[in-house]
Amino acid sequence: MPRHIKIGLIVLAVGFAVSLGFFVDIVGRIRTMVNERETEENPFTPPVQPLYSPTDPPITAKIFFPTAGGDALLTAEDGTIFKSAELANRAKQILQKVQEGPHSDKMFASLPKDTKVQDLFLSEQGTVFIDFSNTISINHPGGLLNELATIYSVVNSLTYNLPEIKQVKILIGGVEKETLAGHCLLLVPLEMDLSITDVMPRQEQTTAADAGPAGRSQ
Amino acid sequence: MWARFVRAYMIDLNFHIMRNRRIVFLLAALGAALFILGGPSRAADGNFPIYFQNSKLVLKAETINKTTYLPLKEIIEFLGLPYTDAVALETLTIRSGNSRLIVTNNSGVISFNDQIVLLPSPMLRQNDQWLAPIEFLNQGLARLGGPEYRYRPGPSRIFAGDVEAPELVMNAQSLGPITRLTIRCGAPINLDLRRDDQNNRATLVIDRAPVDPLRERIDHKDRFVKSISFDDSDGTPKILLDLTNEVADIKLASADNSRLFFVDLIRKAETITASPAPAEPAPTAPKVDATQPARKVRVIVIDPGHGGMDTGAKGASVTEKDLTLILARKLRAVLQMRLGATVLLSRDSDIAMDNEARSAVANNNQANLFISLHAGFSADPMEAGSSIFIMKEDFGGKFTTTSTPRDQLFLPWYLGYRASREASARAAKVMQEELLKTVPGWGFPVRTAPLAVLSSAAMPSLLLEIGNLNNQVNAQTLMETEFQNRLVGTIADAVQRFSESQPAPAN
Repeated sequence: MPRHIKIGLIVLAVGFAVSLGFFVDIVGRIRTMVNERETEENPFTPPVQPLYSPTDPPITAKIFFPTAGGDALLTAEDGTIFKSAELANRAKQILQKVQEGPHSDKMFASLPKDTKVQDLFLSEQGTVFIDFSNTISINHPGGLLNELATIYSVVNSLTYNLPEIKQVKILIGGVEKETLAGHCLLLVPLEMDLSITDVMPRQEQTTAADAGPAGRSQ
Repeated sequence: MWARFVRAYMIDLNFHIMRNRRIVFLLAALGAALFILGGPSRAADGNFPIYFQNSKLVLKAETINKTTYLPLKEIIEFLGLPYTDAVALETLTIRSGNSRLIVTNNSGVISFNDQIVLLPSPMLRQNDQWLAPIEFLNQGLARLGGPEYRYRPGPSRIFAGDVEAPELVMNAQSLGPITRLTIRCGAPINLDLRRDDQNNRATLVIDRAPVDPLRERIDHKDRFVKSISFDDSDGTPKILLDLTNEVADIKLASADNSRLFFVDLIRKAETITASPAPAEPAPTAPKVDATQPARKVRVIVIDPGHGGMDTGAKGASVTEKDLTLILARKLRAVLQMRLGATVLLSRDSDIAMDNEARSAVANNNQANLFISLHAGFSADPMEAGSSIFIMKEDFGGKFTTTSTPRDQLFLPWYLGYRASREASARAAKVMQEELLKTVPGWGFPVRTAPLAVLSSAAMPSLLLEIGNLNNQVNAQTLMETEFQNRLVGTIADAVQRFSESQPAPAN
């Protein structure tokens, strides 16, 4: 190959490498600018508060999931949460466990794919309001037993482990919905139902039930 | 030879001239047609009401070149605006205070205080009458300080300013032996039913004007009704029903504080009452054949679960909404034949219905039994899936007994199930026993749940969850005709057994 062509090719290759470097750099700058703008547009995103502090003691909670086979619709597996001072944070931890799904292969996940807890708040009467994202309805496979399992895995997991919570009111997409997938009425707050599970009532719950409503507080 | 050639040429020429003449003639005809049809097309429209805050103006509208024109002088006289009609200049000047609006014949350009405004269609002056396209009201007249006008393309009415026009939604549905027209209005109204039996017409006069109907006409036709349309051409809103000879009775019932109305068209021979109105006399009992045991379950409502956009659970080859409708239709046929009962379906087509409307069909028809049919879908494909559901005992009890006065104000409609909770449990037990005989291995445990569709059903009611669509073999079995016939036969057996075990009805 003649010398001048070789030199020409080398110059071209160097030029190409330099322009590629510039291009990659510019793309990177544009990306960071876009990201910065997104964060600027959303300056009120609340910082994520930890649901518990390092000093909170761990406690075992029973998390309810649909079970394979057997008469019971739901069964429970133990999960560890931390006893944070605020009841809402404990409730959120339990819902996180429900969202994570079961560890045992004899149980199934109860919440449909991509379901998020958008908000959670408590009333003084012991009713917890949980606002799920619309995906809880959209991604639900249907079937009454399935719907019942979805609802009561949430209701039972909260009311069983947190006796302060008496009732659970489920909201979907920020509003009150009649049903989640066409069957179970959500207009009224729901109470714990262990009859569809193979779990016995907690000791203090049975004694509390005997003693009347005043004895139910922890 | 030359002569022959010339003759042949002449014939050819003749033929050409003939053909050309034909083409010319066709073109002339086409031109004439275009001239006739292409000219301004006119059609006299019906009346066109404009609703003002405390008054209304009913105008005769005209459609010219597909544009609706309104008589302008009548409107400005009604509004009390002074005007000058310059015949020679073919202009009309409308005044209000210091403002001036000038319109010219055959021109879409109008002048407002020497400012040019362009209308989509020209103003017209015909036979001493000024005609204005509807757009003129907002683009021209409203500038003179009058109200804004609300108008939707299609409907023949205009709302001026802040006049309140509650939305009116009409819906019609064939429910077995009756046809139900459901009317929902955004504000409380009263309906006055006027019948014209000679012409097979009925009119429902609405005592509130104006209302804004979502649709002018319902696309529904069945053996009772030919057409249902809204009409307010004389300024009084009304619903016109064009009926067939088969309609003997029309029942009108209201709900939701006079915002919701049910108009039931009933055939002469029917024995059911479709109206829950308390003033109505009790339904006449059907004549019972002396050779047959007394039927205690006379009206059964079957509810095929889901429908329309709500498909329910989806199997590999079937959706829940389709399966439940197939089963419900079969069950209706078997029950009618075996029990001679009146069997109604809450839906007889692929339509979406809310749960309250489903149980309302049972409540309004004073059903003695309500069966909601569903197909199961379990997360576990190996699960049998089938269950019989009844309402959860004491559901909603604590919520309503709270002693705050506000809670005592509203009727907890979802507690309707309580009246027949025990009978529902009995019906479920009979159903379970029968199903276990013919469909063994499918489980059918009796379960309780807070079910939306059963909560307000004030009669023995149950929900059948059949099979598991997550299991492909199970879903295929459910679509087999032989299996479906066996299943509905068994359900009918259970209904018959339950009917015989029920105490005789009071009426």
